This record gives sequence, structure tokens and C-alpha cells, in this order.
Amino acid sequence: MVDIIVGILRAILFVVIAYAVVFVAALVNILFERRALAFMQDRLGPNRTGWQGVLQSIADAFKMMGKEDFRPMLADPVLFTLAPVTVMIGAVAIQLVLPYTNGLMAIDLNVGVIFLVAITSFTTLSILMGGWASRNKYSLVGALRAAAQMISYEIPMILGLLIVAMIVGSLRVEAVVAFQAGYEWIVFYAPFTFLIFYIASIAELNRGPFDLPESESELVSGYGTEYSGMRFGMFFLNEYAGMTIMSMVAVTLFFGGWMGPFAGAIEFWGVDWIGIVWFLVKTYALVFALVWIRLSLPRLQVDQLMAFAWKVLIPLGLVNILVTAAVILWVPSWKWGLAVVGWVSFLAFVALLDPLLKRRLRKQRERQPVVSA
Amino acid sequence: MYDHFETPEPDEAVKLALRRIEEATARGEGSDVDGLAFNEVVVNMGPQHPSTHGVLRLVVTLDGELVKDVIPVIGYLHRSKEKLAERRTYFQYIPIVDRTEYVASINCEWAYVMTVEKLAGMQVTRRAEFIRVITGELMRIASHLVAVGTFTADLSPLGTAMVFYMFREREIILDLMEELTGARMMFNYFRFGGVRYDLPDGWVERCRDFVKMFPAKLKEYEALVDDNAIFLQRTQGKGVITQQDVVDYGITGPNARASGVALDLRRSRPYSVYPELDFEVVTEQHGDVFDRYRVRMDEMRESLKIIEQCLDMLPDGPVQLGSLRAPYVITPPPGSAYVGQENPRGEYGTYIESDGSRYPYRLKFRDPCFCNLQLFPKLLSGNKIADAVAISGSIDLVLGGIDR
Amino acid sequence: MGLVVGSNPLSMDAVAALLVERFGADLEDVRIQEPDTVVARCAGERLKDVAARLKADADAGYETLNWIAGVDRRTSFEAVYHVYSWKTNTYLELHVELPRARPEVDSVTGVWPAADWHEREAWDMVGIVFSGHPDLRRILLKDDFVGHPLRKDYVDLAENHPHV
Repeated sequence: MVDIIVGILRAILFVVIAYAVVFVAALVNILFERRALAFMQDRLGPNRTGWQGVLQSIADAFKMMGKEDFRPMLADPVLFTLAPVTVMIGAVAIQLVLPYTNGLMAIDLNVGVIFLVAITSFTTLSILMGGWASRNKYSLVGALRAAAQMISYEIPMILGLLIVAMIVGSLRVEAVVAFQAGYEWIVFYAPFTFLIFYIASIAELNRGPFDLPESESELVSGYGTEYSGMRFGMFFLNEYAGMTIMSMVAVTLFFGGWMGPFAGAIEFWGVDWIGIVWFLVKTYALVFALVWIRLSLPRLQVDQLMAFAWKVLIPLGLVNILVTAAVILWVPSWKWGLAVVGWVSFLAFVALLDPLLKRRLRKQRERQPVVSA
Repeated sequence: MYDHFETPEPDEAVKLALRRIEEATARGEGSDVDGLAFNEVVVNMGPQHPSTHGVLRLVVTLDGELVKDVIPVIGYLHRSKEKLAERRTYFQYIPIVDRTEYVASINCEWAYVMTVEKLAGMQVTRRAEFIRVITGELMRIASHLVAVGTFTADLSPLGTAMVFYMFREREIILDLMEELTGARMMFNYFRFGGVRYDLPDGWVERCRDFVKMFPAKLKEYEALVDDNAIFLQRTQGKGVITQQDVVDYGITGPNARASGVALDLRRSRPYSVYPELDFEVVTEQHGDVFDRYRVRMDEMRESLKIIEQCLDMLPDGPVQLGSLRAPYVITPPPGSAYVGQENPRGEYGTYIESDGSRYPYRLKFRDPCFCNLQLFPKLLSGNKIADAVAISGSIDLVLGGIDR
Repeated sequence: MGLVVGSNPLSMDAVAALLVERFGADLEDVRIQEPDTVVARCAGERLKDVAARLKADADAGYETLNWIAGVDRRTSFEAVYHVYSWKTNTYLELHVELPRARPEVDSVTGVWPAADWHEREAWDMVGIVFSGHPDLRRILLKDDFVGHPLRKDYVDLAENHPHV
């Protein structure tokens, strides 16, 4: 009996914490991005509301909540309301299997790693709902495009995760974190895998150079056209929360989760409090990288985006799996073997991708006709 | 009051777009989907829009994402400058000319002042000629910075960073001009026979500092943009202006030079002291968006060369004809004159007819952007909407000149 | 190489002589305006023909139209065409006088495509009708504007300012 009550209380506590994390992360990220973007663009960001502008996001949230709440007459009533409500489910539910620190993990599913990717797909569903319910041809096209992008890039993500599972030998997230004890972070063994996973996750989030669905060339807007006020706010917050959540996933799988120097120093209520600090530090390093990448690269167009997923990332991911499997099976000291293979492929990819692209572009340029009268 | 559910009457431009769709459908080019007469949608990129540079309205006929037809609608910034000229003395009109192509207003003043000097048969002092060239080229650099910055901003967040960096350099130029003329954009600086103010102390040194500092910044911008495979893919091969277009529509300036036409009025119809200066006419061969960007970047380098030569060659002497004050009221003899000048966007000229009185009889502007905008329907059709935005940014429009 | 500026550089006198020789019947009062413009008058009825022949001329093809200005001369109207010859790198300023009562002239959009908007502006501002123009409607002013502002007898009408 007591177990049931404790179980229910734990569940409620989890839901509260998970939603709190999502909202706080979204608000923090919005401000963080605006300040970081401003810093890189040689200007200040919002720095007047509250100390250094920390209350800016909250002010924006209040503003959004104060807007008129309307629904286009012809829009599907149920789906139109449901789409913004369900969009955050992915971000919240992922936290079921993420260990914030030693002892602070909701549930240690024995298919945790697969669950991570599976639940991310939920956002795709919400975006499709939003685009369809708007009864707007262009919103639907935008939503379909976003969905196509998201499902295309889930495949490289899964391919990356499979390698993590192969290295660790288990699909449980707790096992993945435990494997990385003693600074044996998986990113040191499989940097190329991390790169593939990271690029795929940027596209999954509709961030950075892959943000065509939300910018849609400033004219025909995407799935969010007909939404206004807090309805739109939910889509918006989800994107920023996703930045943190996806970075948390990457940190857990590749960067050792909550491990770090002095982890385990302060421990009470069965929870390791230094671990949370390290978890957040690593997460926000990756979030900063996301903002930096967004700023530095022009937007990819739809055909370039899809070509990159299907013609570059997926083949490389598959080859990576084959090579990793071969190394694990047949090389005696497979950890060293993996490290060598991983770093060589990582450096080769980074060094060769740009020159190869440029060479193709140069050839195209030579074939381009010179204008004449 | 305003009935939210009432559809407004389509105006002339939209009616024209709908008529064209009907004609195309009647010709048999309608939709191949059951139940649809035609696939196209007429969308209004209204006068207020983040991507159209200025108050330009584009009535776009879209088929899915493909632009079928564009009807530009202008006149939202029409300030009846040509009519105002009939009631202002020649001298009173100088600040008004400033406000046509406001991004590089020195060049606009220059065309007007040259025309009046030709009508009245006035000479310009030598020192003033050099100062005119220096300020003109400085504003050419400033104008190209705006053009390239806003063009890259259309492509993506990368661009928004570029805009800030480029505007940072533009601030230095505007500071120099403010020291010299008292204003940051609408200078009211040129006078008939010279310029209003002489160079303040230390201005030449500060200008030289700028000239020394700027090439490194240009290299910085090129490193960010030129080397970027995504940028190259989005700009090469798009929006090609052929040489036939240049002839047919009177395209001048960087847009023409990017298509291999070496037309630069500083060389082909030299004015001021340009014959004594050594600079190249920058051309590129492909005529696409990337080449227009390259021409503007290289032209900035040429302008720096010109400025440096002028600073070296700057003679002493008065900066205005006659005594301290320029003539306030002049009455040119009856006649007409047209002088075209190399504005950063092309050939900008004024045609003035005088009837011997203090006011011009007729003043007509030849505006480069007006001519360049005529090319839009041909240039944008057949492209995806994202490309259309990039192409229109590369043409470098300033609505002040188009609408006058 | 394509389009070149000044492939047939002639002196201004030579250009004027060429124009008189080939177009003498239609161009009156050919004179030189330094440094590089020839000014001439042309009759309204002959304009389209002259324009086509000017463009097609082998030695000094006036292929580009720079601008068209409409001028109100109080007793008549005038359309000024400013055209450019790539071969000789010179300009030609054609003045076409039109009667005050019916200022109508053939459109030259068939010869110089650039004339499209320039003629629309001349119609908008001065009221010169270009017959044969594909789409002669107002360009700078609003569609239902009444009157032609650059006429000397233009009076600002109240119906143009309904919101004031």
C-alpha cells in the first residue's frame, strides 16, 4: 500500500521536475542564445530586465500569454488545440531515462537508448498535427517538409546510438553512464560517431543551418503560421527546450553524463549533488556550440538538407557501424582499435568534407556558361 | 469601422496578375490536377516586409514554391521631387536631391551639381574636385557595405552577423563624413563650383588610417562568406543577367559589370578628376548573384585605391568658387543638360531644363534602380521563392531613387 | 568578349554627320552638345520608324534607352528620349513635340524594352499617351489618382486626398 502511494508521489514529483526542467531550460536558452548571438555579432543583447537581462524570457512569456487567443474559423478545433499541447511531450518524456546525477534517474528502462530516439519522434507528430489543423496549404507543406527532415535525420541518430550500445554492450542508459567512469568517455573512443549524432540532432531540432521549416524564406511560413500567442509560444519554447534536452542526451551518451572531478563528494538523500553541476556544465557547453553553429552558417535549402542526410550521413553511419562491429569482434584490444578508427575517421571527415564540396562546386562553376551578348 | 471578414477589392496590380493567370489558363497552361482550374496563387509581398529592401511591393504569382511571375508595385515612397524642383531655387534643391538615393547621397548631389554647373557654365576649383572624389568614393564603400551586408542577411543568420560587422566599418566612414559635413547621411555638402566646407584638421590622417585598416576587414568578410560551401551553392548560377538584358533594359553599375560589360561612367564618360586617377573597372563573367557580390567587394578595393591617390594628390586652394560664400541664387541661361554619374548602383543622372529663371523648368532623374527593377519579372521567374529573395537582394535597390 | 563600350569611336562631328546623312529626312535640328550628346528633334508620327532604324544602325546602333522624360511646354507637350550607342559611346537626345490637345505618340517598347516603365512614368506624371504600350497604367501615384502632376496647370484636387 505504502509502495503504491510512494510510487504515485514519485511519479508526480517526476512530472513536476520534468516540466520545470523543460520550461526553465527553454527560458534560459532563449536568453542565452540572444546574449550569445549578440556577443558574436558585436553588440549587447537584452541586458536591462533584471540583472543582466535574466528576466527577459519571463517578460516575453508574460507578453505572449497576454496575446489574443484565437483559432482560424476553418481550422480543425481539436487538433488545432492539441498540437501545441502535445509538442512538449517528447522533451518531457525523454527525461524519464536521463540520469541527472547518481541516484536521480526516474526509471532505468532496459531499452533506454532506443527509448531516447523513439520518444523524440513525438515532436514530428505534433508538428504534422499543427500543419494539418491550420487548414492552410502552405502550413501543410511546411509541416510536411519539417516532418520529412526530422524523420530523415533520425536514422543517423539511431545509427550513432547503436554504436554506443555496441561499445557498452547494453541498452540501459545507466550502464552507458557507468561504462564511462574514470574518464573513459565514449566520445574519446568514437568521436566520429558523436559527430554524426550531433549533426543529426541539430537537424532533428530544426536548429542552426537546418532551420528551413521555421524560416521558410520569410514568405510562405511553416507550420506555425496560424498560431499566435501562447499557442505559438509552446512551439517556440519546445524548440529551445529541445536544445537543452538533446544536449543532455548527447552528454549522457558520449560525455560521461554526470561524471567529473569531485563527483560523489557531496551526497545526501541518496543523490550526488556535484554530479548535477557537471551535468549542467557539459550540457551548456554543447548548447553554446549549437548557438555558435547557428550563427556561423547560412541556411541549407531543402534539397541540400535531404541530400546531406541520405547521401552523406546515412552511408557514413552504416559504414561506421560495420567498421566498429568488425573492430569490436576481431581486434584484441578493441578499445584502442576503436579509438584509432574513430579519430582517424573524424579527422578525415572534418578535413575532407569541405574540400570535396568545394571541388564539386568548382567543377560546377567551370561548366556554368559565361554570359555573352 | 473595419469589417474583419470583408475581402478588400484587389487593386490594379493584383488584377493584372489574376488576368495573366486567366490568360495562361485559357491558353491551356492550367492545372493538371482534377478539379483545379489553375495551380497558381497570387501572394502579396507587401510594402512592409523584412526581405524587400525598402517599401517595395511585389505581387508574386506562385506555383507551389516556384515563382511564375512578379509584378513590382512602386510609388510608396513617392515624394514628388520632380514637381518640388519647379518651386525651389537650384540651391534650395540640393538637400532634396540628397534624399533620392539616400544610401550614397553624395553621388546624387554630385550628379545634380554637375548638371547645374554645365548649364551655368561654371568651373569647379581643383581642390574641391579632389574632395568630391574622396567623399564620393567613401560613400561608394559605405553603400556597398550596406548592399553586401543586407544581401547576406537575406540568406541566413550568418548574414545578420555580417551586417553588424559591415555596419561597424560604415560607422567609421560616417564619422569621417560627419566631421566633414555635419551630417551622417544627407550631407547637403556640394555647392555649385565646389564644396561647402574644407577638410578639418587631421581629417586626412584619419582618412588614411581608415584606408590602411579597411583591406584587412574586407579579407575578414571574404573569409566568412566566400569560402562557405553553402553560400556558394545558394548564389552561384542563380539570377543570371545576360548582356542582352543589359542592353535592353539599360542596366548599369555593378549589376552590368558582373555580366562582363565593362561599362563604368568614370571611364567611358569621365568627369571630375577621374582621368588622372588610376583604377580598374571590375568585371566578372557569369552575371549571377555570386558575381554581383564579388564585383561589389572588389569595387570597394578599387575605391580605396582611388581615395589613397586623391589624398596624396590633394592640392591646396579654395574649395569654392569666388569668395567665401557659394552663390545662393543662380539663373542659368535657357537650355538643357543631362549629366550621368557613376552611382554605386549604376548611372544616376539629372536632366535639367532651364528657362532662365531662378527655378528649374523641368528636372528629371535618371535613376539606376528604376531601370534595374524593370528586370525583376524576368529575373525572378522560374526560381524558388528563397532564391528570389536572394536575387532581389543582390540587385541592390534603394526605393528612394525608384520612387523619388 | 561580348558587349564592348566604344568599338567604333567616332568624333562628335562624325556622329552628327552620320545622323544627318542617314536620318536627315526625319531628324531636324541636329546639333552637338558637348561632350558626348547629339540633340535632335523628331516628329511624333515618325518616331517608331526612326527608333527602329536608329537601333538597327550598323555603325552607331542606339541600342539602349536611358530614360524618357515628359515635359509640359505650356503650348505643347514634349517627350524627350535619351538613347545610348555602345559602338560610338555617345548619346542621342531626341525631342518629340506633341500637340497640347492630344499628346499621343507611338510606344517604343517594341524597339527598346526598357521603355515600358519610362513611358508609364511619363503617362503618370505628364499625361502623354503612348499608344501600343502593353500596360499603360500609373506607376508612381496611386491607381485612382486624378490629374497629371507635372503639368504646369496642375491643381491639387481634394479627391486625391480623401484621408485628409
